[in-house]
Amino acid sequence: MSIEINDVEKSFGRFKALKNITLNIGSGELVALLGPSGCGKTTLLRIIAGLEAPDSGSILFYGEDATNRHVRERQVGFVFQHYALFRHMTVFENIAFGLRVRPRGQRPSESEIRRKVHDLLNLVQLDWLADRYPGQLSGGQRQRIALARALAVEPKVLLLDEPFGALDAKVRKDLRRWLRRLHDELHVTSVFVTHDQEEALEVADRVVVLNEGRVEQIGTPDEVYDHPETPFVYHFLGDVNLFHGRVHDGHARIGETQVDLTGGSDHPESAIFYVRPHEIEILRDGGGTGTIAAKIRDIRPLGATVRIELERIDDRGSVEVELTRDQFGRKGLSEGDKVYLQPKRLRTFDGNTKRETTLEAVNR
Amino acid sequence: MGALLAMLKKHGVLPGFSITLGFTLTYLSLIVLVPLSATVLKSATLGWDGFWTVITAPRVLASYKLTFGAALAGACINAVFGLLVAWVLVRYDFFGKKLVDAFVDLPFALPTAVAGIALATLYSSKGWIGQIFTPLGIKIAYTPLGVILALTFIGLPFVVRTVQPILEDFETELEEAAASLGANRWQTFQKVILPTLLPALLTGFALAFARAVGEYGSVIFVAGNIPMVSEITPLLIITKLEQYDYAGATALAVSMLIVSFGLLLAINGLQRWSQLRRA
Amino acid sequence: MSSIALPSSISRTRTASRTNREPALVRWLLTALALAFLFGFLFLPLTVVFTQALGKGWAAYGAALIEPNALSAMWLTVLAAAIAVPLNLVFGIAAAWAIAKFEFPGKSLLMTLIDLPFSVSPVVSGLIYVLLFGLQGWLGPWLQEHDIKLIFAVPGIVLATIFVTFPFVARELVPLMQAQGTEEEEAAIVLGASGWQAFWRVTLPNVKWGLLYGVILCNARAMGEFGAVSVVSGHIRGMTNTIPLHVEILYNEYNSAAAFAVASVLALLALVTLAAKSILEWRIKQQTVDRS
Repeated sequence: MSIEINDVEKSFGRFKALKNITLNIGSGELVALLGPSGCGKTTLLRIIAGLEAPDSGSILFYGEDATNRHVRERQVGFVFQHYALFRHMTVFENIAFGLRVRPRGQRPSESEIRRKVHDLLNLVQLDWLADRYPGQLSGGQRQRIALARALAVEPKVLLLDEPFGALDAKVRKDLRRWLRRLHDELHVTSVFVTHDQEEALEVADRVVVLNEGRVEQIGTPDEVYDHPETPFVYHFLGDVNLFHGRVHDGHARIGETQVDLTGGSDHPESAIFYVRPHEIEILRDGGGTGTIAAKIRDIRPLGATVRIELERIDDRGSVEVELTRDQFGRKGLSEGDKVYLQPKRLRTFDGNTKRETTLEAVNR
Repeated sequence: MGALLAMLKKHGVLPGFSITLGFTLTYLSLIVLVPLSATVLKSATLGWDGFWTVITAPRVLASYKLTFGAALAGACINAVFGLLVAWVLVRYDFFGKKLVDAFVDLPFALPTAVAGIALATLYSSKGWIGQIFTPLGIKIAYTPLGVILALTFIGLPFVVRTVQPILEDFETELEEAAASLGANRWQTFQKVILPTLLPALLTGFALAFARAVGEYGSVIFVAGNIPMVSEITPLLIITKLEQYDYAGATALAVSMLIVSFGLLLAINGLQRWSQLRRA
Repeated sequence: MSSIALPSSISRTRTASRTNREPALVRWLLTALALAFLFGFLFLPLTVVFTQALGKGWAAYGAALIEPNALSAMWLTVLAAAIAVPLNLVFGIAAAWAIAKFEFPGKSLLMTLIDLPFSVSPVVSGLIYVLLFGLQGWLGPWLQEHDIKLIFAVPGIVLATIFVTFPFVARELVPLMQAQGTEEEEAAIVLGASGWQAFWRVTLPNVKWGLLYGVILCNARAMGEFGAVSVVSGHIRGMTNTIPLHVEILYNEYNSAAAFAVASVLALLALVTLAAKSILEWRIKQQTVDRS
């Protein structure tokens, strides 16, 4: 089932939670709503579910206007942030709930319910927990039971509010891979809310980045990561170094340094250049043009990568560079060393259009 | 369908707001608000001068003195012993503690008339406790002391039950910190524990006081009810009522209502303060 | 995130570390003082009720209880409670639903007003109905014209009982339902339940112990109320006397043994209430622990 969100607005008192949100979600897609807390992502999810009503705008399910449809009739499955499992019911009864509250005529028989619940328990690989109460489960187990409960009513759309928010780092990683695989199996149109960019990039087919009630960018994980359309998206999807400088005749001037560029010419005079930590090369020697001299202040190995903090010689500004273990090992860097930084790519945004321009540094 | 959307916009997907709130307000008005307002209106028929004369008559003033004085004394006794009981129940272990803990609520559960006749019997000159005091020349039952006794009894659970949860949540690290900084036990209690408990203690005190001011059942059996000496204000209301002095009874009732509301506001304020402190 | 639920019995005692311990003598003295206070103020009065009740033997005790006026007082007490408690139960649930599940202006004022009857003197609680429905009251003349007697009759007793027990259930339920939020009900509705189904299958099971707790306290007060009922009753023996009023009459006639015999019934009710209360408190605590 496809979902169309047209020009939706929502305020709480004087606070504008959502401003002109327009969004299309294709049938069978897995979409992440990504943004910092308070950006309106949960409100948008609740509006799609029918738990909140928009002030204006419309929601179309499969081309049909569903704005006025009660949440009961929308055929959505909703997984709440804290799972909202009924704690006085066993896991079995929790999953069976949606079937048991159907009007008498449409209610499946007891044996049918039993079969269905066990199928779902098998699907989430927790068949052995049927008689437990939610209070006796771990966070990850609760999460999967909440999902099974939502799936029991055969929803056309699955909505998940911060599905991994309350879990340990390790469980969180396992569960999101599992969710991705489950989605590939079931192909239910799914939307989930998260504030964790890694989670959004890893799990979703498409990512919707929200900020202060507006859509900043919609795209595949690669698109939003590699081609952020706004400075906000750039900042939000990972670490970034900022260089203040000027653009001028195919050159970027950053402090004393001049970087030759390909592409992009008619830019404003002064500019802010955005460079991700892994897009900077560290050279042991080789001053001259195109490199920025800096001193290594701190080296922190972080698992598979090594993060190096440097201080620019010219204006003492700080720069972060990320190297793989391999690269780091080959270079043999240590704290206090003087080195040269060479940005592989610089990006800058035009203030008015917020369009990104990528400038490739000329490799010499 | 538009109506549904409007409802959803205002109150979310849960139904039943209008009907439950409507019922709540209707029932509240019929049972509580209308009768109370009618009483206040009735007292207005007396005129300000009449009202003032009634509520400042010497016998009435004597009853105020006794009612508020005894309620204050009872609440003070309860503040001290309530704190002690709460402390012992939370901090120490002894045989039968759970039973004692449950027993603290007896004054909530025991009808006041039963408490009244039991206290009167116990503290009369021939009673188990009264006869200990008789040789010392102290009479408890049928004197103002009896009133204090009854009011202490009915207010007993309030301080215990407001202080107890705070003491249970109290972080023992704070005490350990104080000890590590060189404070002795008494200093720690005075400077660290007591200030934390203070809002709850005051709330419990105020609740006990408010309850005691209006109390009737337990007091009349043990007070002796001698005008000007051991006659409480609620009893005076009944006396006026029995003499068909409705206006006088109403005036007294309204003066007590005003005090009750004042206390209610004070208690609300105290509880808010208490919660702020806890958060 | 713990994988197993917390053990259900959380010790109420803070097992204090060595630094937080008072010397044994101080501990012993404080405990002794507290217990002595409770012994004198709670245990002895209760004991007196039973020893006095049985002072003239079991036969006299039994006779005092099955005497017709005593039986009629018991019947009236049960009747008043049987009307007041269910009404206040329905009110409590409605009020808690509106207050705990929705946002609206004036909510804290409403909660204060609901608590109001607790701070009104019992005597005043009775008086307000006399002033409204009594012969001298606002509606008195009209009621007399239509030959309706509320005051010094059973309806007045029921009204006064409703007033004094008004807040019990609501007070218990509101904080409980507020703490539970609305997520579970929303989940039920997303899964297709009607509002009614969400209430019966999700809300009510979650607050059942708290609800029962409120009902027990409400009932204890309803059966034991003295002051308010005394004002509206008229004290007509065998007609408008409740158990507490009957105790008063017997006591004032110096029929102490009979008075205490009847009082012992109320004292037993109080003990049952305390026991039920303790069990329910434990249950509620467990339910709250399960949630976290």
